[in-house]
Amino acid sequence: MNHFPEAWGRPRDDIYGSYNASYLPQSRGGLQSHHQPTTHTQQPIVTGTSVLALKFSTGVVIAADNLASYGSLARFTDVHRLKPFNKRAVVGFGGDVSDMQYLDRLLNSLDVEENYTSPTGDAKSDDDRALVDAPLMSAKNLHTYLAKVMYKRRTDFNPLWNALLVCGLDEKDQPFLASADLLGTTFSAPSMATGFGAHLAQPLLRRVAPDEAATQELSKEKAVEAIKECMKVLFYRDARSMNEYSVAVIDQSGVELKEDEKLENQSWAFADRIKGYGTQTV
Amino acid sequence: MFIARSEYDRGINTFSPEGRLFQVEYSLEAIKLGSTAIGVSTSSGVVLGVEKRITSSLLETSSVEKIVEIDRHIGCAMSGLQADARSMIEHARVTSQSHEFHYNERLGVESCTQAICDLALRFGEGAEGEESIMSRPFGVALLIAGFDEEGPSLYHAEPSGTFYRYDAKAIGSGSEGAQAELQNEFHKSLTLDEAEVMVLKTLKQVMEEKLDSKNVQLASVTKEKGFRIYGDEEMEGVVGRLEGN
Amino acid sequence: MASLFQQSMPSTGPGYSFASAPTHHSSSGPRQHAFYPYTDNGGSTLGISGATFTILAGDTRSTSGYNINSRYAPKLFRIGGDGPENEGARIVLSVVGFAADGNALKERLDTMVKMYRYQHGKEISVHACAQRLSHILYGKRFFPYYVTAILGGLDDEGKGALYSYDPVGSYEREQCRAAGAASSLIMPFLDNQVNLKNQYDPASGEGLEKVMRVPEPLPQETVEQLVRDAFTSAVERHIEVGDGLQMMIITKEGVQETFTPLKKD
Repeated sequence: MNHFPEAWGRPRDDIYGSYNASYLPQSRGGLQSHHQPTTHTQQPIVTGTSVLALKFSTGVVIAADNLASYGSLARFTDVHRLKPFNKRAVVGFGGDVSDMQYLDRLLNSLDVEENYTSPTGDAKSDDDRALVDAPLMSAKNLHTYLAKVMYKRRTDFNPLWNALLVCGLDEKDQPFLASADLLGTTFSAPSMATGFGAHLAQPLLRRVAPDEAATQELSKEKAVEAIKECMKVLFYRDARSMNEYSVAVIDQSGVELKEDEKLENQSWAFADRIKGYGTQTV
Repeated sequence: MFIARSEYDRGINTFSPEGRLFQVEYSLEAIKLGSTAIGVSTSSGVVLGVEKRITSSLLETSSVEKIVEIDRHIGCAMSGLQADARSMIEHARVTSQSHEFHYNERLGVESCTQAICDLALRFGEGAEGEESIMSRPFGVALLIAGFDEEGPSLYHAEPSGTFYRYDAKAIGSGSEGAQAELQNEFHKSLTLDEAEVMVLKTLKQVMEEKLDSKNVQLASVTKEKGFRIYGDEEMEGVVGRLEGN
Repeated sequence: MASLFQQSMPSTGPGYSFASAPTHHSSSGPRQHAFYPYTDNGGSTLGISGATFTILAGDTRSTSGYNINSRYAPKLFRIGGDGPENEGARIVLSVVGFAADGNALKERLDTMVKMYRYQHGKEISVHACAQRLSHILYGKRFFPYYVTAILGGLDDEGKGALYSYDPVGSYEREQCRAAGAASSLIMPFLDNQVNLKNQYDPASGEGLEKVMRVPEPLPQETVEQLVRDAFTSAVERHIEVGDGLQMMIITKEGVQETFTPLKKD
């Protein structure tokens, strides 16, 4: 045993000899000289972790924590990763934060354009809207748009390194939830989670809403509770998460966004039974 | 009248106050100077016929080409500035081949005509920013005959970019008289043989020279044989069937 | 999303057992790009044509690695017809592989089929649509749509028509074809049950006397049951197949769609 955890579990040089890296390219310490085409290196730098969302009978609830990590460093703790588009749609961003900010600016300019063509788009009250009944861009429209942006960028080999959840109401005012990622892949489900959430939260959410029919029976309160529980589980087990998060509920009455929620009723009792969690005494 | 007109007939993309495009109208006049071409559609196929103006006894008559193939199932006859027709025919041929390449089926006759007419207005910039490719409208009209899954059909395409489908149509210098003749003679139960004779008979009436098998040309499009220009012997045969010849 | 976590931050820390792991790459030398533009979303599709119908089927699961993205992500799309819902369409496209490319392909073919009707004043035939699809795929020969497509409809004579493709547009008209994750499980079953491969007339003799059974177009009910059997079997043996079975049956009456649940495990 030495003081370099990265080396633990690997074949020891003094016993097995050094690793034969000859098959690796020269840039990796090997002997191979590959003259392959190079492009810009692409990787996320400052990242946000999971986004969770769940449909319920009359709307959708979505949550993401407020942390932006730089590798393993918890770099920014006040980054809001839920972006309301209008009264019917919210976008949640996982992945690269600068790409999120680019998309946010893109959505803002899209919103401005939309409001030129339908001037009542930002009507102050529901009465105003009912009066003129100008169609507002629905979450479904927004998702289609974002999916095409994402797919175009991946096709140009210049991806936006994000996983998005788009949620809100569709053109028939029914709950809508769908995702788009850096490859332009899209899909829709009663509950969705990006990143670690796909492993840790999705099983719990599917227990609450196994299918579309179940979401019809799910109340807003139950849905919010399930999401909050999942945020807690993620904080327990995802090392790139934090205990402050944003949560938004979108239904007929509009978007209700809270950006400084704190995890409640944490219980770390499980931790001392797990090796690797905190200081081990034995 | 002439003075008023001259102010607006310079720019090819300028309407006159009466709402006319004089250059396009003049191009229609150019066709009236051309040799006569006739097309007659029957239930079994379409016959095309043109007069060849033999301006000199030294002219090799077979080099006067006024009926050309577009594809195996489409052909066309022209009247007006023949050189202009070349680019239209080329476009139609490419469109037809491209359609068969992409869809593994023959191009429809109407679609072919539409493709030609799409080209006719390219003397101005297109709606989607296509560049202007010609300095003036075409000076040629086409009779497009074909046989597709809808059966035989005959179309007339003008330099203005409009086209219509006809049972029988005459274009060129003798078109007025010929069209009146066709109007009287045409009926739906015409056979292909009768149509051949009818085309020649009509041409004969409007031609200045005496009609013989050298100064006219026939072609037909049928389901079985597709587009076919008649050879010398066949021409002599049809001319022989014509009364008074 | 899994790809997010496969990217590790560059580390210059010690401890690699192989000699000086990331050695001189920190210099200004070029680095390989890390972005791979494809993923596999799993699932399987299948098509069988009969005398007067064509059936296309696909499971509705969408996966990323071991994750299930969605239990209902259709792989079957109506092509042509009217409006965004493709009302009155007579052609169905199934795509399996990389779902984003599949969607892009579907949308391109659909707009082309709709444009065809405006330009030529008639509905496109499956035969023409099949050739067009081939060219769309081949057009991206050097950056392919990573999908296996199957196109189904009725031909000019009203007979079932089925065309299968590889990702770069090579295509063929067939009686039946399975594609996607479980194609290697389903195709041999189809060879045996539809094309009657390795089936002999029991009344014929032994050895060289044996007479192969001759395949004939199957009735619709038989085909529907074959499809269901193929998928319930595939679900047992392939983790990327499951959740639901979507079928589209094209007859002269139009396209009829059915959905049957499959195991969700």
